[in-house]
Amino acid sequence: MRVPFLITAVIVSAGVLLSLVLPDYHLRLLNLSVVSAIALIGLNFAFGYAGLISLGHAAFVGMGAYGLAILTTRMGWSPWRAMLVATTATAAFAGLIGLPLLRLKGHYLALATLGLNVSFYIVAANWIDLTGGTNGISRIPELTIAGRAIAGERPFLWFGLAVLAAITIVAFMIHTSRYGRAMIAVRDDETAAAMSGIDVTMTKIAAFVLSAVCAAIAGCLFACHVRFVAPEDFSYAHSITYLAMLIVGGESTIVGAILGAAVLTFLPEWLRFLGSAYLAFFGLMMLAILVFLPSGIAGLGRYLPRLRSPTRAAPASVSAKELGP
Amino acid sequence: MSILQARAITKQFGGLLALSAVELTIAAGEFVAVIGPNGAGKSTLLNILTGLLMPDGGQVLFDGKDITRLATHKRVRSGLGRTFQHGRTFARLTVLENVMIGAAIRGDRTERAIRDAALAVLDQMGLAAEANESIGSLSYGRRRMVELCRALACEPRVLLLDEPAAGLNSGEVDQLVDRLTELRARQQLTIVLIEHNMGMVMRLAERIAVLNFGRKIADGPPAQVQADPAVLSAYLGHGYNRASV
Repeated sequence: MRVPFLITAVIVSAGVLLSLVLPDYHLRLLNLSVVSAIALIGLNFAFGYAGLISLGHAAFVGMGAYGLAILTTRMGWSPWRAMLVATTATAAFAGLIGLPLLRLKGHYLALATLGLNVSFYIVAANWIDLTGGTNGISRIPELTIAGRAIAGERPFLWFGLAVLAAITIVAFMIHTSRYGRAMIAVRDDETAAAMSGIDVTMTKIAAFVLSAVCAAIAGCLFACHVRFVAPEDFSYAHSITYLAMLIVGGESTIVGAILGAAVLTFLPEWLRFLGSAYLAFFGLMMLAILVFLPSGIAGLGRYLPRLRSPTRAAPASVSAKELGP
Repeated sequence: MSILQARAITKQFGGLLALSAVELTIAAGEFVAVIGPNGAGKSTLLNILTGLLMPDGGQVLFDGKDITRLATHKRVRSGLGRTFQHGRTFARLTVLENVMIGAAIRGDRTERAIRDAALAVLDQMGLAAEANESIGSLSYGRRRMVELCRALACEPRVLLLDEPAAGLNSGEVDQLVDRLTELRARQQLTIVLIEHNMGMVMRLAERIAVLNFGRKIADGPPAQVQADPAVLSAYLGHGYNRASV
């Protein structure tokens, strides 16, 4: 357990350090990175561990965000209570939809989840009474701690980092538990997993629900921070971006999820000089990563153990290299 | 007292009758080999016993209970273990983690207890030194041993082995025979073995059932089955009896 805490500490302190030196606009991007990272830790359970290709992750982020927005603006609930209910409702929905959806595999599952995302967009854009249609919902209240609003980029970043740290630690605990191993086993070989006493269907649903919970929390944070939600924020294009982030960062690693979120949030900013050629660059970059660095940025970490002392390097197992930390 | 029983199992794949009213009764503590030429229906029978396939007709009884429609993982949890014909391990987990998947079958175990139970099985089967290796770094024979360890970690009462010696060299086969003999001596384990390696079958089996074209054509002690004319003709062709006897 020491390594996960160390990694979490490094990420949080890097975030806090950046929060003290960066200008406000970059802090905004950093906040969006943190929100994406929380959503991605979720997607990593479904896609990275259990191998469930989901092109509908943005729909779950949207459900959390819209749930909070509706409960706070229409019902006057406190954001905390709304967050709890919106996240629980999203998890329940993921469980229910997962039951029929997860019978599908590979491309079929990808298409079905894509359909889910498109449906979500259509509902959010057209159920005007509830969602405000394409105008969205504005004036979402800020989160408050002890009566003080978490307002402005810097305080929100600190709060977001705390949430990210908590979720990272929980994710590591699940990763190294029987449930994490079961998810990985299900992706590697479903038949052998069943023959080892694993309930394959339940394991897939658990991974899917877990991914939806993280997505909903990310959505709630997004809603409270931006204080405005619209269908466009949760279109299927965002789901594809989430998958791209996971691949760039390093599929099936928690650290990769966080790195991917940060890099792909800042990349358009760094490459602003490319103008509309950015998309072409992005496509080529994805191609290059898939070909030359299939385990993503986190995959570079496997070169690190060589620098450690021999006693530490010796027991470096494949799980340490390819999955953890 | 029979612990595992196949009653009139029938299975059809399109126009092919893979199993036709096959009866197999395994007594507790017994070591039974199921043999037969390729395509005789041995693996199909194992898939039906473990719930990976549903039979078109017949019943599977475990401990006297009808488990014909029970999900695979529930059969495993009630004490039915199995290894696969080509060896199936989890490539992204280490040797120890593979076996821990099996050891986690008991829901009340803590993470430490799961690890200890898995290490005990690895130790018993002579794989303790490779516990932290990646699956990919092991030879095919060692990988199949890991699979066997994983099945044993599920603490089965009946262990079904699907051609465990296939692809192993003769030294590895000898080692496997020794391990299985030890296992039987140490714990009251019922074993059903599907195998083409007749040397191994004759060294281990107390009883042999023979399948041919989806039918059971013989069932009895090794010596009796070896001399059965129906078995000889199934393996060696019809002309064999007249020519040699």
